[in-house]
Amino acid sequence: MPWITLLTGCLAGTFFLGVLAHVAGASYGTLNQASVRLAFLPAIAALAFLLRAPFRPLTQATPVPAWVVPAGHLLLAAPVLAVTCWAQLRIMAHTVPPHTLGHPPAAYPVIAQLTGWCAITVACAACVDRARYADLGGAIAIPVSFAAIALAWYAPVTSRFLIEPPASALGVTTAWYAIAAAALTLTGAAMADRWHRYSRHLRVERGFSRRGSGRPTGELPEPAAAGARPAGR
Amino acid sequence: MVLGLARVEASLLVRSVLVLAGLLAGALVIWFLIGSAEPLWWNVGWRIGGGQLVLGMAVLAVAQLNAGRARRDGLAALYASFPATAGTRAFAHLIGLAGAAPASLLLIGAAAVVIQGRGAIGSASIAVLAGGLLLVIAAGAAGIAIGARFAHPLAGALGALALFITAATNHLASGGGIWLLPWEVLQDDLSQLPGPLAGYPPAGAHALELAGLAVLAGIVALALTVGGARIRGRLAAAGILAVAVICSAGALQLRPIPTAELNHLVTEIADPASVQRCTTASEIRYCLYPGFGRDLSSVQAPVNGVLAHVPARPGQPLTIRQATLASLDETFTHGHPERQISRWNAQLQGAPGNAAAVSAIYLSVGSWPAAGGQLADARFDVALAAADWTVHLPFPIVNGQPCVPLNQAREAIAIWLAILAAHPPAGDLRDGLRGPGGGLTGTEVGNTMVQTWNYPGINAGYLTGVVPQPTAAGYLLAKAMTSLPEQKVSQVLDDAWATWLNRHTTDAQLATALGIPMPSVPGLPVPPPGTATVQGGPGNAPQNPVCTT
Repeated sequence: MPWITLLTGCLAGTFFLGVLAHVAGASYGTLNQASVRLAFLPAIAALAFLLRAPFRPLTQATPVPAWVVPAGHLLLAAPVLAVTCWAQLRIMAHTVPPHTLGHPPAAYPVIAQLTGWCAITVACAACVDRARYADLGGAIAIPVSFAAIALAWYAPVTSRFLIEPPASALGVTTAWYAIAAAALTLTGAAMADRWHRYSRHLRVERGFSRRGSGRPTGELPEPAAAGARPAGR
Repeated sequence: MVLGLARVEASLLVRSVLVLAGLLAGALVIWFLIGSAEPLWWNVGWRIGGGQLVLGMAVLAVAQLNAGRARRDGLAALYASFPATAGTRAFAHLIGLAGAAPASLLLIGAAAVVIQGRGAIGSASIAVLAGGLLLVIAAGAAGIAIGARFAHPLAGALGALALFITAATNHLASGGGIWLLPWEVLQDDLSQLPGPLAGYPPAGAHALELAGLAVLAGIVALALTVGGARIRGRLAAAGILAVAVICSAGALQLRPIPTAELNHLVTEIADPASVQRCTTASEIRYCLYPGFGRDLSSVQAPVNGVLAHVPARPGQPLTIRQATLASLDETFTHGHPERQISRWNAQLQGAPGNAAAVSAIYLSVGSWPAAGGQLADARFDVALAAADWTVHLPFPIVNGQPCVPLNQAREAIAIWLAILAAHPPAGDLRDGLRGPGGGLTGTEVGNTMVQTWNYPGINAGYLTGVVPQPTAAGYLLAKAMTSLPEQKVSQVLDDAWATWLNRHTTDAQLATALGIPMPSVPGLPVPPPGTATVQGGPGNAPQNPVCTT
């Protein structure tokens, strides 16, 4: 379990929010839920590195299914992310003066949004892990997932369901949990997939001969006569 | 050897999927930041930098991956056996950042072409555009410095996020300090300036700061990878010099804008007649700031369309002029004494756009659209305001609630005139009967809920102030009038124009004179006790007055 990666992401975001809270406090300003969303991004970025199983080709050969390890990482990461979200919401609430008129906005839509963002990132990481960029893993999954989140946030077709206003708090919550469920389903399918999706086509030289078994022998052709161009160059 | 390695690293950077994705994302961000308003070069130059910021994030991540490649792949010992030392490789990475320049220049060039194609006002600032390029290079250098110490890809991602967060929040800096951030996107008021302000923003100093940051990041990357006390000593000295340059650039950026420049800006806003160029056509006076002359035809057309159908005009002539900032915020006034700031803001309070004028329409600087559906909406707004003037409805309402011409025939006439003049799509007109959530819109007038109609462009802010809030009844009657022959309606209006302008003349009387049934307005649902009232247009508060003048 890459604890250092996960904790680095969570602590970086929380530290940043703490700095923002201090700066806002000094200028008698307050933080809002947008600040919490920004501060949670490092934790989400760290999540993209949790699914990478370095010895997957080896673990696939063992009796234990290969998806057990990444699934275990996710289960262990969930409470850490929950604590990070709680801490950041507390920091935000701490900047609001105690006698402010009106009720503060509800936290459950933000929690749903962050859950959806985490699920999207995990799904992207699982898909990238099955692709040709598997060796870079999270470095590719992060921009892909953040681009997907930005698209969902700003595209007119989706933003009216995923952002309040115009959507209601309940509608936003439902939509993001639905997205999270779909993303986790995709993640499960990707993690359970045993076959590699990237391949490199081997260029077989024409001179390789095949014996009765049909397997190439690896024998190179006889050297060409002097003055003739060698094959394949 | 260094050049050979640099060439390879540059080609990897040019062909990197992440950099290409960053280029596309940067282009999208620029498109989003520029929006639909006509581009003003003193504003859009900085929006192009916003796209460069996104590209810079991608370059930072890729540079970090490249710099940490050896240790990430567990090949540090192998690379150490090569002739090229870690310091040589780091130097090659830094030179290889030239591979990011083509993407940055392509972004600048493409954005400039599109902006000029949309009819930009003013001229581009080379310092601002060069600052965007330097931002990308500095981000790459920072990525190399991060990768020299931390090989894990998360470090590059966190570095890119840190770059993004400095631009995405307005808590980290305020006033003149916003220009110290790697790139400013959120807090400036550049789009509302009537013209370029000399020395503001401090583009040259900002470019110098970014160059200093790029050099400092490169020095840090080299210091982490080279050996030898002498080389490290030289790097330390260079680092101190780079820090000094950065601090000097920061100090230059924090200098207050010269008083003379701000005096000129305040005069431009508070007394626009002294700088605006005015044209009179059909007895309507049009006054625009220098450089905005190309907007004259798009403003004249809807006004002429209204005047063509009006049998008589009001006695007081109409003036259409541009208006802008109501006050100067800290980004302009930092470093100036409070007394001077108060004097400027007091001057601005007397600006034409801030006072309710009887016969003037104020166009908001920086919000007039370039083209497309938004331009049609803006023309409709101007047409409606001009039509309100012809039927003696009060406008514009500044710093107050708009009145509602409840059951007044002149309201339907004004809407009819505006529709004839601007020819908006029927769908856009019909959509005004419903709010964003699909429900009916209304406002309370004299303890009665009245269904309102949100005209196209009502929320866009093309005009300073708001026209009287139209009602659904007035719109539906106007729509019915458009289905009649224009000559017939004109005849009815001409025969008793003074009667129709009387605020006591009702919609029903107009419908009877036209020989059409009065359109029915669906009733607003009574909200359950304890729930909020239905939404209305801008400026609608729980109670709106009836238009009486």
